[in-house]
This record gives sequence, structure tokens and C-alpha cells, in this order.
Amino acid sequence: MKDNFLIETRDVKKYYKDGTIKALDGVSLSIKQGEVIVIIGPSGSGKSTFLRSLNLLEVPTSGTIMLEGVDITDPKTDINLHRQKMGMVFQHFNLFPHMTILKNLTIAPMKLHKESREKAEKKAMELLERVGLADRAKAYPAQLSGGQKQRVAIVRALAMNPEVMLFDEPTSALDPEMVGEVLEVMKELAKNGMTMVVVTHEMGFAKEVADRVIFMDEGKIMETGTPEEIFDNPKNERTKAFLSKVL
Amino acid sequence: MSDIFTLFSRLKTGIILWMSDIKDDFILNFIVQDRWKFIVSGLKNTLIITFFALILGVVLGIIVAIIRSSYDKTYGDMRKGLKKTLFAIINGICNVYLTVIRGTPVTVQLMIMYYIIFASSRNSLMVAIIAFGINSGAYVAEIVRSGIMSIDEGQFEAGRSLGFNYKSSMWYIIIPQAFKNVLPALANEFIVLLKETSVAGYVTIRDLTMGGNIIRAATYSAFMPLIAVAIIYLVMVMFFTWLVGLLERRLRKSER
Repeated sequence: MKDNFLIETRDVKKYYKDGTIKALDGVSLSIKQGEVIVIIGPSGSGKSTFLRSLNLLEVPTSGTIMLEGVDITDPKTDINLHRQKMGMVFQHFNLFPHMTILKNLTIAPMKLHKESREKAEKKAMELLERVGLADRAKAYPAQLSGGQKQRVAIVRALAMNPEVMLFDEPTSALDPEMVGEVLEVMKELAKNGMTMVVVTHEMGFAKEVADRVIFMDEGKIMETGTPEEIFDNPKNERTKAFLSKVL
Repeated sequence: MSDIFTLFSRLKTGIILWMSDIKDDFILNFIVQDRWKFIVSGLKNTLIITFFALILGVVLGIIVAIIRSSYDKTYGDMRKGLKKTLFAIINGICNVYLTVIRGTPVTVQLMIMYYIIFASSRNSLMVAIIAFGINSGAYVAEIVRSGIMSIDEGQFEAGRSLGFNYKSSMWYIIIPQAFKNVLPALANEFIVLLKETSVAGYVTIRDLTMGGNIIRAATYSAFMPLIAVAIIYLVMVMFFTWLVGLLERRLRKSER
């Protein structure tokens, strides 16, 4: 393992319909431990597909994805084991509606890490405390607001003690007044050294929190750099065009 | 004035006569020679067939539903090999099962089971359980499959992203939600099953309907035994509907 890269992707391609649609067209990216990467780009640029391929929710057509030096695209790799190390937060929360908030947080640690109920619930309550939702532990997802649901979704992923957190447009389905509370939790996470890959349209968040910003279009990485480099001094024409529209 | 009086008195006599007719009829059909026992033992058989056929149907139905929906969901992404071929064959078998069972009348299936497949068996009750269970399984399979398909793909992805394998995601996340969604349709299928067992008489089983028939054949009176049988079916269905209603309300707790 050179340079202690946590995740390394090499030439990842995802083709649909025998290659007529190229959702990902050769994406190579190395992510260091503790790094916060924000991926931006127009819709259809492949940024979500790339994020989802990192934990193999999308299986790449070709290319390799290494997590801690293990090639997870190899069919012999136990992907379920590696997914436990990668927490994921979705645009539409995807909380389990038939379980209480507490159960949402404890089911995976209890079933997959074989944690005792007491231990799992104790940790879950600490996590809920951190995002200010300890009093909603006995509630069901339907009783929560969007922002609350997304905060629960974040701690549900954290309950598995992941090495890296993947965020797929976590604030895109939220009412504007609820975006802030979710970003706050994410900033807190970044500050505590969590490795994060975030697909988002929140440019303010990217500027403030990202170590590296990646601009994607047409299934390729067009430009990569620090927030200052990308936002203040973009080199690629497409990046300029995109930023002029969103900023 | 007197006209009305006569009318009333005639009506009264009529009712009294009718009532005593009913009473005689009742005694003839149920009390004499302990004929009520045909109803009771018939009811027992009906309940046995329904109960075990229901269990067989649900187990069979869930298995077939999971195979079929897994096939629809994952077959395209599977790597070529023996596993994929085997999966296609199993899915094909399930499709044949659904087509044949849903395409032929249950009475015919029951008779094929009794007179052809299990011709050497004398345990007609067992044959009926298998026939009705296999029949019900086909309908339950499609009901459960529609339930699985109705759950948002994101639920499945959330399960997988936490590290659950396909089976556990199904078991802990998809099936409980799917079950809640299809409970009314399942209840309906169980009601149909209960009533469908009334054709068990075709293979010499003395079920509830047959019990009524035996009494009717002995007493030559149709009204009492048939109405009694009908009322018993009705009461059982009403009781079951009430029970499912309770369950539905419990499961809906999480939507409040």
C-alpha cells in the first residue's frame, strides 16, 4: 500500500447498452485517509454513478476499485464485508420505515457485527445525541422531518464504524431551511477526521470543507484541485461554464 | 275493523305455524340421529384442510415470489456460468408452476392429485391439503411478488450499503414491508382458500359442505342444512376478517 491511499480507482468505466451510453468513461482517483473530497458537476455527468460504484452499488463495466489495498471489483472479494467499512447516505434518506429510529441504527451492528443489544443501543443513543435526536429514538421515520431523517441516516451509517462515508446528494431532497442542519453534521464529521466523498450541489459546503474538489462531466474527471483552485481559478473551459451557471 | 283483525290473526297463526315448521325442520335435520355430528366433523375437516393448505401455500408462495423477483432484479447483472444457468432453469420451473396452477380449475387439480398422482394413497385429507396448498401457493406467490416489487429500490440499496447480503436485505428490510403492503390481498386469498375447500367432496372428503349434503340426502330437506352450512362459512370469514383487521392496525403503527 503506497502512500496509504484508502481508496484507489483505476480507469473505472460504466457502459450501458453495449457502450452506446458511457456513464463513466475511465475515472481514476486516489483518496487518502482523512481526506474530504467533493465531487461537483452537471446532472448526468456520472458523479453519482461514480460514487455508487465505490461501494459497488453500480458494478463497473471495467476498471478496478481498491479499498485498503483490496480489489473489491474482483468477484472473489466478499463485497458485503467491505461495504461494512463504507457508510453511505442517500438523497432520499432510505431509512427503514418499519423500524423505530433506534432499530434503524442498531440492526446492522447487531446482525453484522454481532454486537449485543445493550452495546448497540448505547452507541446508537450516543450517536443520536451527537446529532441532537436522542429524544426521537422511539419514533418512526415517518414522524421525522426531512432534515431529521437525513441526520438519522448519517448516524445509521456511522453506527457501523465505517472507514469512509459516501454522500450521494444528501441535501438535494431537503427543504431549504433544513439543508443547514445536515451540512452542520457533515462539517462536524469532516472536522473529526472522517474520510468523506461527497456528491453535492452545495458549493458553499465544497468551498468550506473540501480538501479536494473534483469536477466531472461526460463520465470523466475534467478538473481536480483545492477549492481555491477550482472555484477562484478554474482552468478547464467546462468547469468555468458550469461554475458560471451555479455560482 | 274486523277485516284488519282477521288479517292480524291469520298472520299470527301463519307465523306460529312457520315457526313450528322451522322447529320441526331443525329437529329433523340436526337432532334426529345426531345429524349435527356431520356438520361438526365436516367443519373439523374443512378447518384442517384450510389451515395446513394455508401454511403450505404461504411457504411455497414466498419461496416462488423471492425466486421470481430475485431473477427479475439480479439476472441481468449476474456473471455467466453454471449458477446463472441454474437460476434461469429454476425461474422457468416457477413460471410453469404459476401458469399451470392458475390456468386450471382447482377442482380439476384436486381430482388429478387424488385419482392420478396420489392414486395409491388413501389419505384423502392429506391429498386435499397438498392440492389446495399448491394451488394457493401460486396466488400467494404473485401477491407477495407484487409486494416485493412495490418496495422502493432505495430500501434494498440502503440494506446492501450497510453490508447486508442479498438474503438478509430481503429478510430484514424488504419482506416485512412487503408483507404489510400485501396483507389485505393475502387475507382475501385466505378467504378464497377457505371457501374453495368446499369442493373437497369431489374426492370423498366429508368437509363442511359435504356434511350438509349428507344431511340433505337423508332428510330430503334443503333449506336447513344448506343455510346452516352457509352461515358457518360466513361466520368463519367474518371472524378471520376481524382478526386481519387487528393485525393490520398493529402493523400500521409505524405510519402514524
